[in-house]
Amino acid sequence: MTFDEIRLLIPRYLAGQLAPAEKAAFETQLNAGPELLIEIEELRSLWNELGRLPQEQPSDALRARFYQKLNAVARERDRVSSGGFAWWKSGLQGLVRQTAIALAVFVLGWYAGRVNLPSHASTQEVKRLDTEVQSLRQTVALSLLERQSAASRLEGISWCSRVERPDNDVVSALLTTLNHDPNINVRLSALDAVEKFSNDAAVRSALVNSIAQQDSPLVQIALIDAVVHMRNNAAAGQLRKLTGDTAVNAAVRQRAEWGLQRLTYQ
Amino acid sequence: MGSETDSELMKLVQAGDSIQLATLFERYHVGLFRYLLSLTRDRGLSEDLVQEVFLRVLKYARSYDPGLPFQVWLYSMARNVCFDSFRKGRAEQTGSEMDDLRSSEPLPEEAIARRQDVKFLQEALDGLPEEKREVLVLSRYHNMRYEDIARILKCEIGTVKVRVYRALKELRERFCELRGETLYDI
Repeated sequence: MTFDEIRLLIPRYLAGQLAPAEKAAFETQLNAGPELLIEIEELRSLWNELGRLPQEQPSDALRARFYQKLNAVARERDRVSSGGFAWWKSGLQGLVRQTAIALAVFVLGWYAGRVNLPSHASTQEVKRLDTEVQSLRQTVALSLLERQSAASRLEGISWCSRVERPDNDVVSALLTTLNHDPNINVRLSALDAVEKFSNDAAVRSALVNSIAQQDSPLVQIALIDAVVHMRNNAAAGQLRKLTGDTAVNAAVRQRAEWGLQRLTYQ
Repeated sequence: MGSETDSELMKLVQAGDSIQLATLFERYHVGLFRYLLSLTRDRGLSEDLVQEVFLRVLKYARSYDPGLPFQVWLYSMARNVCFDSFRKGRAEQTGSEMDDLRSSEPLPEEAIARRQDVKFLQEALDGLPEEKREVLVLSRYHNMRYEDIARILKCEIGTVKVRVYRALKELRERFCELRGETLYDI
């Protein structure tokens, strides 16, 4: 082994990663000359000093945001994969099953009609069917949002997401849920759903106002992320207030500071 | 957190049990954050990138090969996410964001000198060229074998060997220069 090849082994030697045979061969070479010994000791000192550098920790907000996203994904997957269609059940499942039956009947009726109607009439029929389907979805969604159980309200939010052209009632119901629901997961889900309407100026404004109304740091952080994501510069004033308020959770203040920087330099 | 191996957990994630990703998150998110911070030197961006990496793990779970160490796959993905973000111009390169070490209490001289050394060493590490800093960080702080580093960086093991050694040497030069010491090269 050449002198240069031996020197390349120094970092692994310091890290304790040399295999026993390699280590034995390396240590044999140490006696070859003092230069290698001096170099090893200098680099060992540096290696140890590197281990004493303070190690950065991520903020609590990172974990909060990750679990929010993971819960949203898991709920969506559960919703898609849950099988067992019962024709008739009571309570929440009954309402959902009945709605599914109603939709299926509409689709069958449309199909049967389409076979017999001339094409211009079938286009009209499709539009009418579509409107009725949307209206039915909306009714189910609003009804579920009023339920006592958090699972029902989460289902309601999921139904809201399926309404293609929601009216003000749906958006308003989602905002109310975001601001007042007793369950944090439901509020986080409502935020996910209402973000889709962020093109609406009133929704953007409502999200900014919601930050100060929240008592949960998780929801506050999620709201800050949302307003930054939608580049809502009107949120800057609210974020500035948060950064200066010592009564606010430290993780929220940190996120607000980050958000303010992002909005300023976007 | 559970005693399942990374591969066992990924198998469950691949089967649709996305909640199992939580255990992998708890195992790796701090190390991943530190690795990304060494590349971006931006805390906020590094946190965003950690989130993005784990979402990609979910999205591309099916492409994970259990024959490969999960950490290698994770860090390779992190590297791609990081360089994608550089290309989109998201990196702010604001310099080291170490916590403020200043204290309001007067310190003994030895402690001041020690604190100064820590600052200089961090500065020297941050000042290394990115490819040297990256291999050194992976080797020193993530305890990765050179074979795994080579896989992440998509290069030869010999290249990793040379880069780590040269990174240490250059780090020492920079550190000594900051301390105002004369370096006698061996």
